[in-house]
Amino acid sequence: MKDLTSWAIISVTLTFLIGPFIIIIFAGASAGEALAFPPDGLSLKWYLKVFTIESFRQSFILSMGLAIFGTLAALLLGVPAAYALNRYDLPGAETIRTIVASPIIVPGIIVGLALLRYLVIPTGFTVTLALFLAHTALVLPYAVRVVSSSLNNLRSDMEEAAVLLGCTRLQAFTKVVLPNIQGGVLAAFILGFVTSFNQVPVSLFLSGPGVKTLPIDMLAYMEITYDPSVAALSALLAFMSLAIVFVAERLLGFSRYV
Amino acid sequence: MFSSTREGLALALPAAIFALLLFILPVGILLSEAFQSDDGWTLKGYIDFFSKPLNQKVFLRTLKLGVLVAGTAAIIGYAAAFSITNLSPKARGRVFGLVILPLMISPVARTYAWIVILGRTGIVNDTIVGLGLSDTPIRLLFTETAVFLGLLQLFMPLMIISLLSAMENIPRDVIPAARVLGANWFQVFFKVILPLTKEGLVVGGTLVFTGALTAYITPAILGGSKVLMLETLLYQRVNVANDFVSASVIAMILIVMSFTANLLLKRIATARK
Amino acid sequence: MKNLISLSAMCCALATSAFAQEKTLTISTYSFAQDAYKAALYDPFEAICDCNLVIETGNSVERMSKIEANAADPVIDMAVISSQDALALSRKDLLSPLDLAQLSNHSKLYPAAQDPIGGNMAVGYTFYASSIVYRTDLVEINSWADLLDDKLAGNVSLPNITGTQGPLTLMMLNKAAGNEGTDFTSVISDIGTHADDIVTFYSRSSELAQLMNQEEVIAAPVGRFAWSRFKSSPLPFAWAEPKEGQAGGMNVMIMTKGNGNEELAHMFMNYWLSTEVQTRVAEALIDSPANSEVVVSDEVADNLTYGADLINSLSILSPADIIVNREAWVEQWNTEVIR
Repeated sequence: MKDLTSWAIISVTLTFLIGPFIIIIFAGASAGEALAFPPDGLSLKWYLKVFTIESFRQSFILSMGLAIFGTLAALLLGVPAAYALNRYDLPGAETIRTIVASPIIVPGIIVGLALLRYLVIPTGFTVTLALFLAHTALVLPYAVRVVSSSLNNLRSDMEEAAVLLGCTRLQAFTKVVLPNIQGGVLAAFILGFVTSFNQVPVSLFLSGPGVKTLPIDMLAYMEITYDPSVAALSALLAFMSLAIVFVAERLLGFSRYV
Repeated sequence: MFSSTREGLALALPAAIFALLLFILPVGILLSEAFQSDDGWTLKGYIDFFSKPLNQKVFLRTLKLGVLVAGTAAIIGYAAAFSITNLSPKARGRVFGLVILPLMISPVARTYAWIVILGRTGIVNDTIVGLGLSDTPIRLLFTETAVFLGLLQLFMPLMIISLLSAMENIPRDVIPAARVLGANWFQVFFKVILPLTKEGLVVGGTLVFTGALTAYITPAILGGSKVLMLETLLYQRVNVANDFVSASVIAMILIVMSFTANLLLKRIATARK
Repeated sequence: MKNLISLSAMCCALATSAFAQEKTLTISTYSFAQDAYKAALYDPFEAICDCNLVIETGNSVERMSKIEANAADPVIDMAVISSQDALALSRKDLLSPLDLAQLSNHSKLYPAAQDPIGGNMAVGYTFYASSIVYRTDLVEINSWADLLDDKLAGNVSLPNITGTQGPLTLMMLNKAAGNEGTDFTSVISDIGTHADDIVTFYSRSSELAQLMNQEEVIAAPVGRFAWSRFKSSPLPFAWAEPKEGQAGGMNVMIMTKGNGNEELAHMFMNYWLSTEVQTRVAEALIDSPANSEVVVSDEVADNLTYGADLINSLSILSPADIIVNREAWVEQWNTEVIR
């Protein structure tokens, strides 16, 4: 009996959470001309149309680039930081932790606005560079946090043993620590990638003429187009994110690190 | 633990400095604008802001929706999380995956789905008219309800995840023991589950509340210019009027609200001994 | 390693910007009909000038704000915005006067379009009429006052006060109530009392087209430039001819001060104003011509704001009037209407 109620509650909740997606997927697969659900027959023509739009291709590349390089940069900064915070007794460790975690707390629009006015305009950085720096900053908290929790699970005596047995600190890091936190780093990468790719408020402010990330481009497109291609585009983006996560799950049981 | 602090600092500082220069500094300057006027530091920006009825309304509405979304998410979240803990580990993993799935998808896509659902030609209206509950489709979009639903869907997974991880720490025999001792479900919840999971509730509550406060796309698309929230108002002030003072004021208010909510929840959690 | 990545990122960024500087003209325009504009204007121009056009789109007010924000180092070279937004920018000293010597097509424009805000700071490139678009199968519109009438309650949208169409709608509602002039206090209060009956206040005409197509709304005031979206819709729409007449306006071209690309900008503007391009744009049913030498068939003319007679009959709000009163209107609007 309890099981039945449990399943009922779960089904309702999942329907609420995931139902809208399924609707979008099918609305985008409509053979008709108007955006509606249930769709007027099934066809992939709107999905195909999405690929033909030039500006989406460009913004997709930009978003991908930002996501990949931004997350890599965040990891390059964040992994050493997480390691230091975890393995050393640093003065001001709490402060450092808060500083590094701050991008999550502040509303995206503020970040975008602040960076626009006090970073881009004074320094004259190009829009792309500003976006890159902003995305790195936004992903940094995730990088540090996820890798930290992974490090927490790794006992430090293994490294100490390695050093005792003759490794240099660097070797101990690369041979002992890195392989063991691989999962955490990969998880941080996935999380960072998805966060950066789907980022809207900051990118909204920093985007300029000719330089748009994909979500911003989608928003602009959605404002002027009212046909199933919008739904198709949303569904495609969703699939992409899901594919990345699915692959990650397969590779390492990702949910353990969240 | 290694003792060489210099080494440690060298590893941690690049990240900290990066965050400081590229993030804290610009944001800090922006926020300080909220306090400035020609004569130096004042609260005039805030006073002006709150003296306008529109701003008061938007502030209260944002607060209200934040609390409603967090509260509803907590209720449904507990039910869902509890149900999930009753599943077999394999099923649990799968359901968990499905719960976090939405988080991976762009808020633009997630919000857009609601347009298809809540629009006058959408399925909710089709059902309502079909069942004869109304002669004509009812107006669902551009209302607070639409924004509420959109925000709830957006942030509920966060609540479920927080509660789940808190619930997993409840020893498996505690609840059956309580039941055996005669407690009904109501008592089990308030006297057993809630106290043991209060930290999860604090984390989840803060995440959902803050998220609802600072969401942009969902209120923009589902609420429009009639149902303004602090974040959409901010955007309007900047984009249409270049009014950076208002923007900074709103930003500060949002940050203060998040902190306060977090502190309040923590206080409630520790008080519940 | 970190340095290598940052370096390569910076190189990519710098490279793209360097690439972009090779004879590029950055323009700011309305989001409407960009596909049609590409065929009628952008592609032909790029072929002639051997340059690259970068286009920013959005509504007039937001783009005006962006120009203001970037005043120290203009990102946009030239823009097309509403005449009142142009006047606002001009008064803030953010525009450069246009060099008529580089605009050979200037003399072909209708007189009203030649120097709309004074000092040769702008030229008009299109006129538009504003009226009410409505679903013929659901309602009939004979007067601007119908917007607040019960028959449209819960199914109507009005333009946001901050946009270009907002003040025009107020003016016509005022006229319908029997008043002249720019004191819209009673009109705004009136809208305030009906606020619950209004579905939403749209900021962009494209937003309205979506609302209408989704059937959230069955009538709304809008500019003629948006008409093609409604004409080609599967739902039946008509353009009202209310007894108070239609409102109208003119959109203008301006050039930012100190953008460093003045020659190319002038070339582009002149091309846009040429009889050839204005005719093409008119025939694609996008924008009505400001070039008096343009001749189109009756069928095309029917869908545009074409001809001196029609243009002269429109109720216009002068840009100066709008600027003077805008803040007061917005204050009252925010207090009484947005709920």
